[in-house]
Amino acid sequence: MSRQLNILVVDDDAGNAESLAELFQLDNHRVIVAYDGQQAIEAFSLNKVDVGFFDVMMPNKNGVDSFIEIRSKFPEARVYFMTGYSADDLIDKAINGGALGVFSKPVDLSRVLAAVESEAA
Amino acid sequence: MQKRLSNPDALLSILDNLPTSIIVKDVDLNFVYSNRAHCQMIDRPEHELLGKSDKDFWPQEQADMFLQNDRSVMLTGEESIVEEQATNSNGTTSVLLTHKTRLESPDGRSYLLCVNSDISALRKRENHYRALTESVPIGIAQVDEDLNVHFANPLFKLFSGGSGSEYEQERVLRKLTEENPAFPGKACKFEAVVQGIGSEPRTMMVISSGWLDLGETRRSATVSLIDVTQMTELQRINAEVSRLNKDLAANMKSLKEAQDELVKRGRMEQLGQLTATVAHELRNPLGAVRTSAYLLQRKTKDTGLGLETLIERINKGVTRCDNIITQLLDFSRNKMLECQPGKLDDWLAGVIEEEARSLPQVLEIELSLGLDGRDVPFDPARLQRAVVNLVSNAAEAMVGTVDQPHANPTSNPRLTISTKVRDGLVCLKVEDNGPGMSEDVVARVREPLFTTKSFGTGLGIPAVEQIAHQHGGKLDIRSVVNQGSSFEIWLPLQTQQETAVA
Repeated sequence: MSRQLNILVVDDDAGNAESLAELFQLDNHRVIVAYDGQQAIEAFSLNKVDVGFFDVMMPNKNGVDSFIEIRSKFPEARVYFMTGYSADDLIDKAINGGALGVFSKPVDLSRVLAAVESEAA
Repeated sequence: MQKRLSNPDALLSILDNLPTSIIVKDVDLNFVYSNRAHCQMIDRPEHELLGKSDKDFWPQEQADMFLQNDRSVMLTGEESIVEEQATNSNGTTSVLLTHKTRLESPDGRSYLLCVNSDISALRKRENHYRALTESVPIGIAQVDEDLNVHFANPLFKLFSGGSGSEYEQERVLRKLTEENPAFPGKACKFEAVVQGIGSEPRTMMVISSGWLDLGETRRSATVSLIDVTQMTELQRINAEVSRLNKDLAANMKSLKEAQDELVKRGRMEQLGQLTATVAHELRNPLGAVRTSAYLLQRKTKDTGLGLETLIERINKGVTRCDNIITQLLDFSRNKMLECQPGKLDDWLAGVIEEEARSLPQVLEIELSLGLDGRDVPFDPARLQRAVVNLVSNAAEAMVGTVDQPHANPTSNPRLTISTKVRDGLVCLKVEDNGPGMSEDVVARVREPLFTTKSFGTGLGIPAVEQIAHQHGGKLDIRSVVNQGSSFEIWLPLQTQQETAVA
């Protein structure tokens, strides 16, 4: 039986963020939603986050830069990225910074759920 | 035997009818006889002349000269032939060739016989010729068989350099015989560089008349030298100008092409930015739709509401939209490639294996890899898009997709993906045995937005071609209706930078 995770979903597109959140909740995980990079950093500081699903392109601070900042405080932070198109430089930076993987949007939900599953195992 | 003519009247008449002027002077050099030609020259009748001397008829200076010559002959008794100038009362000057002889009469007295031939016309012609040879811008010389120069005009002497001596002229001529064996005996015309002693080398047009028979023992030829240095220089400049003109035209052409390319690239860049923005903006809501459909499916499962078909339709719609966005991105993407040398065969096997999962099972897929582990520079992400495009096109043409099977599928559908090296290029071929394309379709299939599919963007093949071009390669398309199509992506074995360095 998989354990309950604290999942942080970060996306400036509310429809995306909230539908994903609901999906994870359906599998009995606790979900925190953030709508930009800055909120993501705050969410990590205030909560114990098991895994994050970050959008790349967002206002204020992009997903990758906020991830780098989070990793500097929480080197164990586990984050997947989701992107609408391949912004190569940012993706490379995320992978080099320790991201677990990248899903292209619209994300393949079976793969996302498999990723969550492996985190919960 | 005929009797010799001795009648004095007859003899005088003969003398009067000669065109030569004949005068006889006494010891004091006064006229004692003048024939008609002489009278005409002075323009006086004979009786006005007799007993008078040259002093009475000619300008003093000329008369003094005549008389001095006369006295010399009278004194020495030696014949003399002199050229004299005489200006008569009309102001007409004649050049006379005067033959002077002292005569001794039986009574012991001496007389002077003067015979004058008017050579004015001859001298005039001579002067004309001289002026001509001196003023023509051509070096002229008369040369005999031993290369002796019989005549050379001033320009020929100048071209010979130094002091223009015969030795220097001969040196130039000898050099020309080395340049052209026909010279000067055969009529010829050629260009040669002539360098007179102490002069700059000059390009000359050399013309020889060939041997002329002038009735002399040695044959001679007229040699002309025309200085064409400036003309040669003009020709060179002319050639240079026309070469520059050609270069300019070529430059203009490539400039125009570069300009067109820039405009095109500018548009492509705009399109790229627009597409990237649109892709991002569309994929976010698409994600929300997909996730929501999934949630809907989960939440209504086992409720008996019968929403499965509707949800499936939503999912297919999302996938199709996503594919369109991918194709748009493939076509409009114009970032620099990131080419790394890699094992193309191994990579391709992986790509095909992954792609095969989403293709209908009925397809027979054959992989024939012939690069023998060779490294090829390529951008894996971009080339994957090209390969996936070609493979999914071929599959769709033969059997349709998993979601939308072809109404009239190809029997025994076979997809062959192969690689080989030929002529220093790598060929990646995707071949099918599907319905093929007509010539018209083949001709248009590279055009953006051209499509034969009901849901095609018409950007697939243009994107593949663009990716091939970005690699410095090309796309070859062959197709036969009812037999199948083949698409060949040709890639260079070296990157363009490497080629440039090599």
